[in-house]
Amino acid sequence: MSTNRQYELVYIVSPDASEQAVADLHTQIEQIVQRFNGTFDKTENWGRRKLAYEIGHHREGTYVVETITGSGELMKEIDRRLRVIDTVIRHLTVRIDDDLRVTERLRSERKSTQARRRTARGLPPEPLPSERRGDRDDMDSDDLGLEVEGVR
Amino acid sequence: MSGERGGGRGRGKKDDKEKGKGDRPRGGGFFRRRRVCKFCADKIDYINYKDVRLLSPFIPERGKIQPRRISGTCAKHQRALQTAISRARQLALIPYVTD
Repeated sequence: MSTNRQYELVYIVSPDASEQAVADLHTQIEQIVQRFNGTFDKTENWGRRKLAYEIGHHREGTYVVETITGSGELMKEIDRRLRVIDTVIRHLTVRIDDDLRVTERLRSERKSTQARRRTARGLPPEPLPSERRGDRDDMDSDDLGLEVEGVR
Repeated sequence: MSGERGGGRGRGKKDDKEKGKGDRPRGGGFFRRRRVCKFCADKIDYINYKDVRLLSPFIPERGKIQPRRISGTCAKHQRALQTAISRARQLALIPYVTD
């Protein structure tokens, strides 16, 4: 019995690989996902990026980020495959569904608290755009004050 | 940049003397102390490891993670930051060490 979870997979393809090779890799992963009855949510190609440090004599790499919903076995299989493929110089899988849930909960909690407090003060529950800008201005001037103090 | 920093530091010391209250410790480090956790203030719930621009202020030149006592980050967010930075390091978005 396997439960479906959301994962984020990031892999770095070696800079020697052609665009075609990167696309092929993507379809390969897609096939694995389909075979394991997972779903492909999103894919994002960052293109070529400089690496912060050398990985196997490479200074650059093509970054690809994929969001996949599927079972743990699926991710295990993808991990195994990526390990074998030489053009992938680095990959990382992160489970994100829990984090997303927590983030969503915190956001809604904050929103409801804000709405409650605002109605208690007799204000409309949503802050007006003008108010928000006022807030930020305040913060900016505060910062500025400190900056000026430091320079003088 | 270093000149500005030095100026700020000197001023900070002077400030302490003038005030004499010491409502908040100043000087000592190279960076101006941040009073509040950046992630709490900006209401960032999830520290994304792919967002280098978000993480880079917490990585000084050496490449080490800035301690909480300097950055002012709260314990909860420092923990989240720690995992985010180690993930970013694994993906070569951030260096492990720079010398």
